[in-house]
Formats: sequence, C-alpha cells, structure tokens
Amino acid sequence: MFEQLLKTFDTGNGYWNPLVWGFAFLIIFLIIYILRGRGNPSYKRGTEQTKVFLSGNPEYENKELLHVKASNLYWGWVESTKWVINTLKKMHTGRANDYILWFTFMIAIFMLLLGVI
Amino acid sequence: MNILDILLQQSPALIVATPLLGAFLTPLIGKLGYNVRNIFIIIILAVTAFLVFLLASDVFSGNIHTYVFGGTTSTVLSNTVIRILFEVDGLSIFMAIITVILSLAAVIYSWAFMREETGQDKYYTLLLLMTTGMFGMVLTGDLFNFFVFLEITSIASCALIAFWTHKAKAVEAAFNYMVISTIGALFVLLSIAFLYGKYDALNIAKLASRITPVSFSFIDKLSLILLLAALTMKAGIAPMHMWLPDAYGRAPASISIILVGATQASLYGVFRICFTLYGNVIQIPEVSLGWIMVILGLITMLIGVFMAMIQIDFKKLIAYGALAELGYMFLGVGTGLTILSNPQLSLASNSFALQAMKGGIFHIINDALDVGLLFLVAGAVYYATKESSLNNLGGIARNMKYTTVFFLIGLLAVSGIPPMNGFASKLLIYESVYQLNPILAIIAILASIMLLAIMVKVFYSAFLGPKIDRFQDIREAPKSMLIAMGILASLIIFFGLFPDLIVNTLVEPAVKAITHPTSYILWLTGGV
Amino acid sequence: MDIGTVSITILTVIFGAIGVTLFGIIIGLLYKGIDRKIAAHMQGRVGPPIRQPFLDVIKLFVKENIVPDNAIPWVFHLAPIIGLIASITILLYLPIGGFPAVLDGIITSKGDLILLLYLLIIPSLALVTGGFSSGSPYAIVGAQREMATMIAYEFPLAIIIVTIAWRLSLMQNVSHVFTLSTITSIPLWNILGPLGFIGMILLLLTLIIVTPAELSKIPFDAPEAETEIAGGLLVEYSGRNLAMFYLTDAVKTVAMGSIIIALFFPYNLSPILSMNGYPAYIIDFLFYLLKLFLVILFSVTLIRVGVARLKIDQIVYTYWVPLTLLALIGLICIMWDQTIMTQFGIPSVVEILGLT
Repeated sequence: MFEQLLKTFDTGNGYWNPLVWGFAFLIIFLIIYILRGRGNPSYKRGTEQTKVFLSGNPEYENKELLHVKASNLYWGWVESTKWVINTLKKMHTGRANDYILWFTFMIAIFMLLLGVI
Repeated sequence: MNILDILLQQSPALIVATPLLGAFLTPLIGKLGYNVRNIFIIIILAVTAFLVFLLASDVFSGNIHTYVFGGTTSTVLSNTVIRILFEVDGLSIFMAIITVILSLAAVIYSWAFMREETGQDKYYTLLLLMTTGMFGMVLTGDLFNFFVFLEITSIASCALIAFWTHKAKAVEAAFNYMVISTIGALFVLLSIAFLYGKYDALNIAKLASRITPVSFSFIDKLSLILLLAALTMKAGIAPMHMWLPDAYGRAPASISIILVGATQASLYGVFRICFTLYGNVIQIPEVSLGWIMVILGLITMLIGVFMAMIQIDFKKLIAYGALAELGYMFLGVGTGLTILSNPQLSLASNSFALQAMKGGIFHIINDALDVGLLFLVAGAVYYATKESSLNNLGGIARNMKYTTVFFLIGLLAVSGIPPMNGFASKLLIYESVYQLNPILAIIAILASIMLLAIMVKVFYSAFLGPKIDRFQDIREAPKSMLIAMGILASLIIFFGLFPDLIVNTLVEPAVKAITHPTSYILWLTGGV
Repeated sequence: MDIGTVSITILTVIFGAIGVTLFGIIIGLLYKGIDRKIAAHMQGRVGPPIRQPFLDVIKLFVKENIVPDNAIPWVFHLAPIIGLIASITILLYLPIGGFPAVLDGIITSKGDLILLLYLLIIPSLALVTGGFSSGSPYAIVGAQREMATMIAYEFPLAIIIVTIAWRLSLMQNVSHVFTLSTITSIPLWNILGPLGFIGMILLLLTLIIVTPAELSKIPFDAPEAETEIAGGLLVEYSGRNLAMFYLTDAVKTVAMGSIIIALFFPYNLSPILSMNGYPAYIIDFLFYLLKLFLVILFSVTLIRVGVARLKIDQIVYTYWVPLTLLALIGLICIMWDQTIMTQFGIPSVVEILGLT
C-alpha cells in the first residue's frame, strides 16, 4: 500500500510525481520564506502610503467604482476574436425550437456520416 | 452466509431501492421536523454509499455482478420471459461512485442552503428520486429499463431546475430542458422499439450478442444514430448543448451539482451503447464513431471556453466551463474508440488508445468533483450576497475566507494546474491523443489555458477587489455548506496527490469494461 | 521501494532544491545585468554595472513593504512567494550543462514537457492573482492583459511542444517522448530531412518570439506598460514582495532559456573534445552558460531593444494568426518529412552535410 502511494504516475509518454514535486515545493518554500523574512516587513498603516495609486487623482468615495467589472476583462482577447464570439452568440438563441432544430441537424449529420441516407 | 454476503448479493437492487424508499418516506418523516428529516435523508444516502462501496469492492476484484428481479439468470436466458436485470461492471460502478459522492455532498449542502425555502419535502423527495434514476441508469442491464430511469431522472431534474418558481428564467430553463429531454427520450424509446422488433430482446447483453456483423442492417444503424443523438444531447455535447448552461445556471446550486452527475449518466449511456451494445460490430467501417466523437469533443471544448469567456453570470459561466470539460471526456474516449474500431490497428500496438480512454474516464470523476465544487462555491456566494451577476460582486474574500480557499482549489483543479486532480487526467489525455493527431492535443491544451483565464476572471471579480459597502456585513457560509465543499476539496487534493493509485483502482476496471465488451456480453452463456 | 531509496530521494530533493534555488537566483540576476548592459550599449548609453540587479534586490529588501488598503492581504502576500517557488521548481526538471536534471537520477520523476508548460503558467498566474488582489485599477488592467497574453502565446507554444513529441513518437524503441531526457538524448536536428529541418527552424523562430511574452518583455509587455498604466500589475507592490517578483522574473528567464536549450540545442562540448570527469562537467557548464547567453540575447535583448510595444489586441492577433500559422507550417513540414524521406530516399540533413 505504502509503495503504491509513492509510485510515479506514468502516462506511457511521460512521468508525473506530485509527491516529489510537492516536497521540493515545501523545501523551496522554506528557503524563500527565510530569505523573505530578512526583508523589511513594516509600513505605515493608515497613511497616504496605503492609498491606491491613481496618478494623483482623488479616490472615489464609493469604492465599488474602483472595481473593474467582469464584463470589461479580457478586452484585447475578445476584441481580436470578435467574429468567433459573435457567431457563437447568434447560435445561442435560448429558444426550444432552435434546440430541436440543432438536434434534427445532428441526426441528419449522423445519418450522412454513417451512410443511412 | 454472513450478512455482508447477503447484502452484497442484493446490493444492485438495494442501491436503487434505498433512495426510492427514502424519497417516498420523506414527506412522512418531514412531519417530524426539519432536523429529523435531514438526518434521515443523509442516513439514507449514507447507507446507499455503503452499499455502493461494498459492491465496488466486489466488482473491482474482477467480477461482473448481476441481479435479476423476480428470477434467476436462467430465467433471463429463456426467450419468452422478460425480466428486469441489473448488470454491474467496472464502468457502472465507477459512475455509481460519482453519483453517490455528488448526491451526498448536495444533501449535506442543502441542510443550510435550503433552510429558508418552502416546499422542502418536495425538494428532498425529488432529489432522492433523481438520485434513484441516476443509479438505475448506470446499474441497469436492460435497455428499456434504462429508458425508464432516464425518464425518472429527467422528470425529477426538470422539476428541481424550476424549484425557484418565482424566477422566470428558472422556469424557462426548466421548460426548455423538459422539451429537450422528452424528445430525446422519445427517440431513445423509438430506437429501443426498433431493436426489440428486430432482435426480440431488451437485455443489453443479449441484444449485443445478437447484433453481429452478419445481422447488421439499416435498422441497427438507424437505432444507433437515434440513441447516439438523443443521449449526446442529454449529455450536453455541442452543438446540442444549449439547454445545459441554462439548466445548470438557473437551478439551485445543490441541484446543479447533481445535474452534473445526471449528464454524466447520459454520457455513460453513450459509452455503453458504442462499446457494449454495438460491441460486436464495432469494427464495421460504417460504424466509425471514433472520429465523430473526437470532433464533437473538440467542438464542445471550444464552444464551452469561448462562450464562458463572455459570461457574466457566475453559475452560467461555470456551466460553460463544465461543458468544455465534457469535451475532454469525449476526446479521450473517442480516441480510444478510433483505434478499437479500426480492424487494421490493434490495441496492443497502440497503447496510447488505452491511455486516452483512461484519461477520458478519469476525467469524468475529476470533472464531477471540480465542477461540483465550483457550483457549490457559487451557491455559497449567492447565499451570502444574493447576487449572481459577476458585475455586481467584489471583495468578498475578506468576509468568506474558507469559501475563497475552496474556490481557489476548484479553480486550479478545473483548469488542470499541478498538483490538482485535473492535471493528472488532462496529462493522460494530452500525452495520448497527440498520437492520433497532434492538433487534438494542441487544441486541448489551449482550451485548458482558456479555462484558467475564465476561472481567474471569476476569482477576481467575485472575491478580490476593494471593499464594497453593500457586502460589509456578509458572513462566511454556514457549516454544512463548508463541510460539503470541504469533502469535495479534500477529494480533489487526494486524487491530485495520488493519481496513480486512483487510476489503478478506480479507472482501470472501468476502462477494462469498455475495451472488453465480450465479458459483459458473455456472462449469459458463461454463467455467473 | 525500500527505506534506503526513500531517504536518498529525500536527501536528493533537499540538496537539489537548495542548489537549484541558489543557481537560479544568482545566474538569473547575473543575466539580467548583462541584458541591461547590452541593451544600454545598443541605445548608446553606458548602462548600469552588471551587478546592478543584485543591488536592486538588496535595496528592495530594505524598503517598506506596503500593503494597500484595497488589497486582500493574504493573497497579496502569497502570490509573489508562490510564483517564485514555482519558477524555481521548474529548474529541478531541467538538465543544466552536463548535469542531468536533479530529479532524473534516483527516482523516475523525470521532467515532462506538458508538466513544464503548466509549471511555467504558475508564475504568470501568481503575477495575475497578485495584480488582481492589489485592488488598483491600473493593476487590474495589467493583470487581465497578462492573462490575455498568456492565452495568446500558449497556442503556438503548445504546437511546438506537441510537434517535437509527435516526431519522436514515430521513432522505433523510443518511449516516454514527452520526457526531457528522451528529447535531449535524441536531438531532432540529427534525424530530420531537409523539409523537417525547415520545419524545425520555423518552430525555433516561433519559440524565440514566444519567449519575450512568456517573460513579459517588450514588445509583449502590455501588462506592465510603464508609460500607460504605470507598471500595471506591479503598481501596488513594493519592498520585499516586489523583490520576490523581481527574482521570479530572473529565475523564469533562466528556466525558459534552459527549456529552449533542451528542446533545440541539447549538444554538449565534452563528447566532441573527448573529455570526461570534472573537466567535462566544467566545460559543459561553461558551454551551457554561453548557450543561455545567446538564447537570452536573441530572444530577449535584441527583440526588446529593436521593436516597440504592441497593443493588447495586437498581441493576441500576432500570436493567434501569424505565429500559429508559422508553427503549423512547421508542424506540417515535420509531419510530411518522414513520408518524403522514405518515398524519395532523401537522407537526413546531417548525412547530407556529412556530420555523422
């Protein structure tokens, strides 16, 4: 049992041993933690220091306005794959009629591929 | 004969009967009070879990377990008598284990999650019925019986998706699901009728032994197509997936997690039909389903990640992520089927096919755990904030520390970052499917990175960010919800740290079941 | 597996981890210094002394470690540490000079290309999480750009990795083709015909252009873009946390360079000079440092001095269209190579050149 737990995961084309990696991770964590501990941990709480950097502009009273909304994330990626996303959006109409249409379509495809018609 | 042996012998029937009995007792027990009922339901599922693991220990030692209702195996053998038969092999029990883990987690979670709701007796009754249906689907050895359990699952889950009837979108999702699953199930019934008409049998093993290359004709092909189309639709494979994100997203979180299991039970149906029912004719060139499966898997993966990228509803986004995960299973198993169904290639000289199937099957359980955990987290966030749109959330990591950690675990697992369980199964898939065609592995890797980006987006917009006044006073999720999430999270980490153990004990028998359909088919003549 | 093997394994991991940490940090900072010096000379400046990165790190350790009000403290502190550790663990799987990878010898935990691909994601992921957790709009914009860049460059990177493994899987008696020790023992240059050779060059070219994005250097440094979003995802970081990210960057440069060397230039000098023992190790290690220098010079320094920053949607486009096409052409060349070689009896390039 003990041996089985320690065995390397062999995919036939590569190896993966989570335990060894995890152990190495722990050791390096210790080293880095000690190294980091030599740094200066202090800062001045509640001063101008801890305010958000906005190129000198004042911070909003309502902090929610500072939160970039989920729909604005990955703009560059969405922008350059617009054509795919717009096509897909058109596919998802949310109507049961269209769902059945896709189902019929897939049956037709299967029939073509398996040579029924 | 001690009690364990008797239990083991009766276990296939008991696994289905216990939750069914529980379902009908629930309204009665419900009269006794909130806690009594919930404890009763947890005990019912715990007993079922015990039976499942008892049966699993027997099946994993290499047996195929059968149970005939109202008769013996010889009754089934005779042509004139029809009996319901349960036949449990490695794949069935693998799916049953997933079902039991998911439903236990869902019930523990519901304790607090559903506390404020009305109509809880109905909720729990339907939940247990749904579990019954799923167990029946994966354990049965009879095609018509499979259809019956498919319907039980569909009806129960349809009602549960619409559980929040005051939300128009939930009702709409349930309606769409009902239309889809009824039509799908009717096609399943139709093709069962075709097969019954031609072969005079409903038993999967018996049917499979009669569908031979000699007898194979138009009717068989038609039934195969109808079964395949209906079940892939129920499993949510693109482009017939559109009902899935709505259904997952609008149901209560504790139901979404069981729905994951329900779609996987349909996936089991697809595998059972391709590998076992049509096991004898798998090498007929016209039935070259392998590549179809692979392509469908890729399409599902890509549509899943692209659509998830632009979602802003927490649970719908995870639902699209779950869709992408389904693609991996189809990719892995489809690769195996391509090699199996090619008469020129042998499985022995193409060991990658076996590895791909292992990866695909292993991914089923990983997906159930990962996506299940994420749904539970989404539910916990909804419970605390009453917000489901990511645009309105933010900064709740301050108030909900444990939930944040659980989400982080789910995030890493679902996007396959080492050392979580998702990495192990994806590694198996990547490092085997590339031998069929390098493009397959490339797209799979790409989809998994995009999945990471999607989940990081959720992590940021829901959990990180500045303090928001509205969420100043929200509290950590209640204990029962944390326990349910904790169970799934610890399983994820355990599976991640010991992938070799899991693959050898759980996955290997399931893969054996689908690569050696003859042992499933031949128990009739071989005897048990 | 008896107790002796286990204890040797544990000792190897402990000493290997310590050694690799020191190696990664020192060499990484050194090359950072060299990179800055060369870039300065190319721009007609004198530039900082080569030991400047060391001084930078020391200074950052002395500085205050500010945690902004809007940050989630535990994520904010943890992200830099996780990133640095993950990037150091990559080095454990890489062969360095004539030495095999630390984890190669005693246990069968050899480096796996897919594993490396994913381990390379973790530092970037840590950077993104850190940026997101700091609660500043600048950092958030930077972090989401980093993520978009990551999706963009993983596509061609995946093609490169899978192509190399696929070509190796065609060979007889070769198993575990994703393992780095297999890849380094059979350099593809030696077996490919002319067409495949061209494919390999295309793949190398792609990988060289992927590297600056992996290390967020110009022209793919939109996530940090000092001039528009003031340092992007690092804007709220200071003191020792920033030092951790600084070190991560240095170590990641070494890791990425070593991966390129292992994939494309796994040659050593000692067999040619027929040396063995300690001199061989020394000469191979020096040769490795030279290779690393050349890789960093071409994939980081020259590109970053030579071109300007791209916009984020241009980055995604660059990777998903031209570079993916380039890599795919490379893939197709290598896929057809075998058939054409056997069909027309064309010898491999090495045989044509008479190097065998």
